[in-house]
Amino acid sequence: MRLIRELEGLQAERGCLDEASLRELSSRLGVPLYRLEGLVSFYPHFRTEPAPPVTISVCRDMSCHLAGPEHVADALREELGGTEGLAVEEASCLGCCELAPAARVNGHPCQLQDSAELASSMAGGDPGLGGDERDEREWKSDPYGEAERYGVLRAALESPSPTDEAERIVDALQESGLRGMGGAGFPTGLKWKLVRGEEARPKYVVCNADESEPGTFKDRVIMEELPHLVVEGIALGAFVVGAEKGIIYLRHEYGRAKAALEAELDRARVAGLLGSGVLGSDFSLEIEIFVSPGGYILGEETALLEALEDRRGEPRNKPPFPGQVGLRGRPTLMNNVETLALVPGILRRGVPWWQSAGRDGHAGLKFISVSGHVEKPGVYEIPTGTAVAELIELAGGVSGGRALKAFAPGGASSNFLPADHADVPIDFATIEERGSMMGSGALVVVAEGTPLLPLAANVVRFFRNESCGKCVPCRLGTQKATEMIEATLESGVPLDWSVIRKLNLLLGETSICGLGYVALNPLISVAEHWPEEVPGCSAEAPE
Amino acid sequence: MATRRSGEQMISLSIDGRAVQVLPGATIWEAARLLGIGLPVLCHDPRLEPVGVCRLCLVEVGEPKLTAACVRGAEDGMEVRTSSERLEACRRGLVELLLSDYPVDASDRPKTGSDALVELAAELGVDWPARRWSGETGEAPGSRTEPAGGIPAGDGRALDGTSKVIFVDHQACILCDRCIRGCDDLQVNEVMGRTGKGYQTSIAFDLDVPMGESTCVSCGECEKVCPTGALSLVGWEGPPNDAAGSGDVGWEVL
Repeated sequence: MRLIRELEGLQAERGCLDEASLRELSSRLGVPLYRLEGLVSFYPHFRTEPAPPVTISVCRDMSCHLAGPEHVADALREELGGTEGLAVEEASCLGCCELAPAARVNGHPCQLQDSAELASSMAGGDPGLGGDERDEREWKSDPYGEAERYGVLRAALESPSPTDEAERIVDALQESGLRGMGGAGFPTGLKWKLVRGEEARPKYVVCNADESEPGTFKDRVIMEELPHLVVEGIALGAFVVGAEKGIIYLRHEYGRAKAALEAELDRARVAGLLGSGVLGSDFSLEIEIFVSPGGYILGEETALLEALEDRRGEPRNKPPFPGQVGLRGRPTLMNNVETLALVPGILRRGVPWWQSAGRDGHAGLKFISVSGHVEKPGVYEIPTGTAVAELIELAGGVSGGRALKAFAPGGASSNFLPADHADVPIDFATIEERGSMMGSGALVVVAEGTPLLPLAANVVRFFRNESCGKCVPCRLGTQKATEMIEATLESGVPLDWSVIRKLNLLLGETSICGLGYVALNPLISVAEHWPEEVPGCSAEAPE
Repeated sequence: MATRRSGEQMISLSIDGRAVQVLPGATIWEAARLLGIGLPVLCHDPRLEPVGVCRLCLVEVGEPKLTAACVRGAEDGMEVRTSSERLEACRRGLVELLLSDYPVDASDRPKTGSDALVELAAELGVDWPARRWSGETGEAPGSRTEPAGGIPAGDGRALDGTSKVIFVDHQACILCDRCIRGCDDLQVNEVMGRTGKGYQTSIAFDLDVPMGESTCVSCGECEKVCPTGALSLVGWEGPPNDAAGSGDVGWEVL
């Protein structure tokens, strides 16, 4: 954490990490130059040349691709060409898909169509746009009135037997069936139990707030609007597993979420809920925020740990898993923002409440980011088991009164499903039965009339852009597949489907991490359901 | 490999149906070697900490996913399979992927070892047009690539001839990280690392300066551990006992 923070600090001070600054840092810290090069060239937040006074970052990924014409960044660059002190750059998904087509101007999220005006207002200096006006929403997952917050933690710390209390919490989470909401869906209670059972000390709790899957922005909203549940979830995790240190690993685009979390951590400290001997008990806890220097791959749990250890964010070979050998080789409980935020409600109101909060036998509540071709994109908190079609209606229906063509139920890495699957109840098993996955809980809606091969190409290109490059299949396979699809889009030459299948086999079977496993899924699913849109694809079942 | 200390519990596993015992901490790759089973590797070298990036030593251990034998610890009761149709398809495919970016004449470069990628391709029967550099086409040696197994060929990576001792052909680099570990861990010269990300990744010296302008001390370790034609010796005609005398070690297997 230290080295990356040193680089961040130096960049903030000097405007960029030029050669002289890096050489100076190398000799000051005794860190070899190659290590600094490895970090600075890997993380998109670092720059070796000064940024112009105003930078417009244009999102190029899934939801924005659906909302805007091709090559919007080029068009904007042309329009604003020659404006002094202004740069237009393309960026990977910015995590504000409800604004699609989205952009950021010097870090402030906005709609693309407003970016030029915002940029010119910033030319004379950053006005520091707050933009904080937003309707207060009520979330069912929050079990508290304002005065009751941290009630579960307080009760746990007042318990005469912390051991019994910790075990009771694990049992309740296991009984609730809560699963990880970051994408992998690992049973939360079991994870807490396994880390609790590890003997090595110290232990750590890491909140994975590096939400970067195209179409996904629910964690951002949870952190902005329910930060107390995130902090309490971390504290409960630390109490159960026996950790005294929590880290929130936050993507650097989430400035508002960072401010909300910082304010919440301050409140918790003042209330004696953090620090040494929390509320007079034997339990101590410090929580700090670590801002990611950027990149989708850091959401992969072991890549995240590598970043926390000041290395390139390249996923580790597993096993061992972070629960056994995590941060600095110690047992580490790592959970997604939403997962942690749901824990206080389940424990406060009890497992029967959680089980009845869903619909038609499905347990619990689910935060879903809805984007793409809908009238009212945003984050919706639904009873688990709600049908996709109903959620689309909640979001105002398919935009422009069009019919539904397809949807991705779990973000860019989930398989596309055709409209006749819109009756699927939203839950892990039910979506899997239809051949896709819940993933990060991001419903991306595609209207009739949208060609799907360019959309699949967009997703494969995203994975190519975000591949860390560590292992052979992902580094080369995503590039070769992208080249092949682009050639087909440009010239109409049929895809050599046997080669695509081979690349899919290599990515799925031999990659180190999930990015590689899923990279061609969207393309394969388009070929499966809409073969007429994929020149060259064969009817054979994809491997 | 570690030797046995008294009182230490041995781990029993089976590899391709044959029983073997190893010390705790041993990897599947090491256990297989005890049985004389040689798993293909490009990124691994017993002198280096394994990194598991080339994926060629993948084996089946009864889990849904394949696992890299060079980094995966042996476990009691493990049943390992080192060959199957699935594994062969993966290995061939990985070699094809690498070859699609590999200069067809990389094996012309004088090496102190053989070109392990070209040898492995021959062993697996991958059809790929390796050839000698003739100079007739006007191309620089080490720059021309050809498709492999239908996978489109790549190009455009740099050559770096700035060092008086070692020639760097980035196009022939498979990013196995052996040179990096040789430089930083074995020799503790701490000059080499990775720069960039994804497909744009390459090996780099210091702050990604040309090798001849870096703090490299020309120890030669990187060239010695390099399994391909990426790092080769300048002005060296090949080992004296090489029958062909042309320095194209590894060529004969084709």
